Amino acid sequence: MTWLSIAQRLAAMFALAALLVFALVGVVLHQVLRDQIVRYQHAELSTKLRSVAHSVAMCDSPERWRKVQDKIENLTTSERNTRFWAWSESADFRLGADRALPVRTGNARDYGMGTLDRPGMTSPYRTLEQIVPAYGQRPPVRLWIGIDSQPYVAALRTFALAFVALALVGTALVALLGHWIARVGLRPLQRLSSQARTLSPSNLSQRLRTEQLPPELGHLGGAFNGALDRLEAAYTRLDAFNADVAHELRTPLANLMGQTQVALSRPREAAQLEEVLQSNLEELERMRGIVNDMLFLSRADQGDIALDRACVPLAAEVAKTGEFLEYLLEEAGMRLRIDGAADAWIDSALFRRAMTNLLHNAVQHGTPGSEIVVELATGRSPGEARVAVRNRGQTVAAEHLGRMFDRFYRADAAREHRGERHHGLGLSIVKAIAVLHGGAVFADSGDGVTTVGFSLAEPAALRA
Amino acid sequence: MKLLIVEDEVKTADYLRDGLAEQGWAVDVARDGMSGLHLARELDYDVIVLDVMLPGMDGFAVLRELRTRKQTPVIMLTARDRIDDRVHGLGAGADDYLVKPFSFIELLARLQALVRRGRQQEPTELAVGDLQINLIARRAFRDGVRLDLTGKEFALLALLAQRRSQILSKTVIAAQVWDINFDSNTNVVEVAIKRLRTKIDGPFRSKLLHTVRGMGYVLEVREDEREGSASGRSPA
Repeated sequence: MTWLSIAQRLAAMFALAALLVFALVGVVLHQVLRDQIVRYQHAELSTKLRSVAHSVAMCDSPERWRKVQDKIENLTTSERNTRFWAWSESADFRLGADRALPVRTGNARDYGMGTLDRPGMTSPYRTLEQIVPAYGQRPPVRLWIGIDSQPYVAALRTFALAFVALALVGTALVALLGHWIARVGLRPLQRLSSQARTLSPSNLSQRLRTEQLPPELGHLGGAFNGALDRLEAAYTRLDAFNADVAHELRTPLANLMGQTQVALSRPREAAQLEEVLQSNLEELERMRGIVNDMLFLSRADQGDIALDRACVPLAAEVAKTGEFLEYLLEEAGMRLRIDGAADAWIDSALFRRAMTNLLHNAVQHGTPGSEIVVELATGRSPGEARVAVRNRGQTVAAEHLGRMFDRFYRADAAREHRGERHHGLGLSIVKAIAVLHGGAVFADSGDGVTTVGFSLAEPAALRA
Repeated sequence: MKLLIVEDEVKTADYLRDGLAEQGWAVDVARDGMSGLHLARELDYDVIVLDVMLPGMDGFAVLRELRTRKQTPVIMLTARDRIDDRVHGLGAGADDYLVKPFSFIELLARLQALVRRGRQQEPTELAVGDLQINLIARRAFRDGVRLDLTGKEFALLALLAQRRSQILSKTVIAAQVWDINFDSNTNVVEVAIKRLRTKIDGPFRSKLLHTVRGMGYVLEVREDEREGSASGRSPA
């Protein structure tokens, strides 16, 4: 199903609201009007009834009853929409009724008035009754006055019909106006989306103009521009990354092609060919290392690496990594010291990988004969931890410090350290592993002491 | 040892066939899933190397069909190494899983491990030439002289001796000796081998521990070196 536009939705909601208001007002007005009518009827009936009752009370003989009848005749309107009835034990003192009238009494809201059905007519008489006590020859007389309710009922009905018609027309008008107002009000949104449509991948620095937008849309525009900022940064990074990858793979590829071509350019001894193959294999291994590390990073970025986390003492894991790097430490005459203790939820294999890279980094950049210190500290909440690797060595300049976790980034252009080949992904892998563990990396350098490390957070599932 | 390769990439299948045949395996090759499944059902192989991406019937389907009848060990090969592929493959009954690009010696080691599985227990005494190793007492002798080895050095020597004449890659050595299961980009294994070599080969005329450049290390007796002549495979 297709959804209504915002303007249509608003118009429909306005119409519904208008209809509700009209209905409420209509019902209340109808009640008030009816009440006024009843009150008016009651006032008229009681005035006339009181006057007639007074005459009846004065009447003590059939002769005088005739005068009363005349007076009643005068009071009775020609259209006979006001009528009187009187009934008593004696047939001499009766009027219009040969027996007591069956009057249905009304409720309290009708001020004690009753109704009397009129045969053949839809609207009944509104009635009031009074008993006049006996006087002289006259027995007690029961006196009724009735007024035809037809005009009142008709007036009420006309009012109701007029009101319903008005309410429907009003609702329709509100819907139309609401639609128009909503469209006018939403015009900035249209401008915003037409602006967004003009954004193109060829110009990454384009942004939406948010100055002239109303505040609500200003926030949206700002948020959208923020997203564009992040996308631009990610895109630029990816671009640089691709260039780095191509560059990094180009060297071993060139070696492979060149060496192979040289080897094949003339007949060679088996031993020479073997030498070429072995050298090629080394280049291929180097390429495999790069491709595997890149795949690891890309899968880490996509959150495609399942963590097998367990809560373990970090000191033991660091010690194991230290054991692996023992020979390298020994060769550099360096010692490893583990300070502090912390337990954290980690994937041991990934943690060791990060530790290996950090410690290896420290061995390569540290001053021979110095001490590498791994500081373990617990975080603010249990399950959080901080691992910092500190070594003596050349102070790393601030401009390198911020970028050392970037992929393929090297502070020194010469890509070899103590005869070992490097492709500059080691610290980015540390960062990826930290991020996978909900943590972050940090680096600090000053006075010949460099500290590089990462934090670990408790898994979200356990915090919940 | 009879082995079946199910692989549609001609170059890959050919080098695997040639390499494994040279290592003494009797190799059959199937170029697609259907014929691979047919061969695997009709003949008895010691192990099957099965590619995941195959025309017509993929490796998972072949494995599923095969497992309804036979329990031949299967190593799956794939260019994708997403976790769910791995779980899928192992869940479907594969015994091992290798991600392309894999190194040939890695495949060889895994194949031998699969075939070895379920055989009689490894001996506790090993001998390579005049080198003798007692795995229980954790002692090694060469020419009757006790070698002074550290714990890690002994573990490394024992691993090489148990797989003597097999080339062990640096990755396998790091995983078996240090429990480091990733390419560490360090030269720890080189350094460790260098130290071990100094201790077991240093004072002796014949060399047992050899470097195979670009591939790894192997412990074996080599006739030509006993005679003292250098070869292309001389230690680096």
